Amino acid sequence: MQRRPTLLDSCARAATAAEARFRVAYPNSLQRASLVIALDDGAETVVRAAAQHDWAGARFLTYVEPVSAVGAGPGGAIVRGEDGSESLLGDELGDADVVVMIATSERSAEAASIIGTASFARGIMTAGCVFGAGDAADSGVVTALRPYASVLVVAADDDYVMEMLTALRA
Amino acid sequence: MLRKEVNELLTQTGPGTPTGDLFRQYWIPAMLAEELPENDAPPVRVKLLSERLVAIRDSEGRYGLIDEFCAHRGVSLWFGRNEESGLRCPYHGWKYDYTGQCIEVPSEPEESGFCAKIKLTGYPLVKIGDVLWTHMGDPDDRPPLPEWEFALVPPEQTFTSKRWQESNWLQAFEGGIDSSHVSWLHSDGLKNDPLFKGAAGNKYNQADKKPFFEVVQAEGGLFIGARRDAEDDQYYWRITPWVMPSFTMVPPRGDHPVHGHFWIPIDDENCWAYSYDYHPVRALTADERQAMKDGHGVHCEYVPGTYRPLRNKDNDYMMDRAAQKRGDTYSGVKGIAMQDASLQESMGPIVDRTKENLVSTDNGIIMARQRLRKAVTALRDDGVTPPGVDPAHHRVRSASILLPREDAFIDTCRDALAATPGVKQTSV
Ligand code: FES
Ligand SMILES: [Fe+2]
Repeated sequence: MQRRPTLLDSCARAATAAEARFRVAYPNSLQRASLVIALDDGAETVVRAAAQHDWAGARFLTYVEPVSAVGAGPGGAIVRGEDGSESLLGDELGDADVVVMIATSERSAEAASIIGTASFARGIMTAGCVFGAGDAADSGVVTALRPYASVLVVAADDDYVMEMLTALRA
Repeated sequence: MLRKEVNELLTQTGPGTPTGDLFRQYWIPAMLAEELPENDAPPVRVKLLSERLVAIRDSEGRYGLIDEFCAHRGVSLWFGRNEESGLRCPYHGWKYDYTGQCIEVPSEPEESGFCAKIKLTGYPLVKIGDVLWTHMGDPDDRPPLPEWEFALVPPEQTFTSKRWQESNWLQAFEGGIDSSHVSWLHSDGLKNDPLFKGAAGNKYNQADKKPFFEVVQAEGGLFIGARRDAEDDQYYWRITPWVMPSFTMVPPRGDHPVHGHFWIPIDDENCWAYSYDYHPVRALTADERQAMKDGHGVHCEYVPGTYRPLRNKDNDYMMDRAAQKRGDTYSGVKGIAMQDASLQESMGPIVDRTKENLVSTDNGIIMARQRLRKAVTALRDDGVTPPGVDPAHHRVRSASILLPREDAFIDTCRDALAATPGVKQTSV
């Protein structure tokens, strides 16, 4: 086999398994702030179950209703925390890096539009996750979330939320 | 981020490993048909799923994939004489047929029937299209032959190449569903590559480097859609299918041939990247075929006489810093295939996924890993046949299409995403 000249600054062994052992070992990221919000009743069950596990700071909320009160700002909504306490969406969004919206039905359209708009306005990444038993989800809920989720996942299994949050270091 | 145990589970494919068992459920590409061009062609060494084998085509044109080493004293049968309907070991003359059955042991009296007691492991080798396919699993559980469209269309409509990739199969395959890298790494290809340029849809890619993604579970694997804004209240969608274990298809551009890949483990630190390119309804033009042979599109140039890319890790992929600076190529490496392979090999033979920081746009990869893990454990624990074994799952296509904003591609594009003989691909 013909050999090509190796460039002066190259190291053909750099990509070997032996060299891979010398990858510097240290935590190469800081903790993320992930907000997981259930948009409807079905989604709340999924989110509650996920919340039971250990996470690196992820917070789990449920959308309750819109607020139009003066001072709530555009995209105002009330959300409920794991302990049942209610707060304003705008306050929760504060330092979030990513908002993950979980939905199971078309009824989540209003919530998606309020949360998505508020997140876009703040430059927060949005992801949507749609569940529906077996033949993943009717298209109504997908259409409802599409404009507001930079990434929209249509999953058949509820445990995908766990998989995604783990992969995202939530 | 992926836990260490799961990373090991999905990257190890040798005999007796759970993911190795998964791969052994499928008909997989073993080699290109051109490697055994005629009857009694020289035998070819084939390492697949960490098993060393030798492929033969006997005097009657029968193909077989058998243990590389002679049962007598372990000589490589690559040195064998392929003649008179069998492969004879040059050391002491033991002879095997295409199934691995020993048919002659010259030192023993013929009447003793001793040779009947010697049998090398053998796997079937079947030519469909430009590829020789094998099934390395239980013969009693052999699925129907594969029905990938690229392999079934007439020969003048299809072209397949393969290249050695010096990395684990999983990180290579993940590149095939990593839709968000295309706008960066391959930005030059859209403008210059003869097999990509000129499509009407390219302008949407160039105008919008931050597409929105939609990941939808499919029976055989996944569909990953990337959408960008288009005129008249429409989106420009590019939809990539993945079929288990490792078949992916790039969304088409204009009337260019459609292409995609199969990633097949050689061992845990190497894989074959098969790259197919076909047109569903017309012959490839002479220019297209020549461009493919010359290494354009998803193909590559080779070290002469081998399937090793000309640009490889021994020469730093012929990195061209001046081209990188000028913007002729984004990474400094020439050619779409080697732009991908150079970066995937740079991760190390088996990338340490515990160190990753995935983001939302990596959901295609996240879901593919989950589906693989579930298929592997369902097979291991309950003997469940994995997705992608059923040939019905093979009849998929990629698509690029303009759709009204409210349309869900998975509903609107059912026909576009199905491989229907005689029907043109859906492409912008
Ligand atoms: S930017 Fe994706 S691997 Fe570096
Ligand atoms: Fe690529």
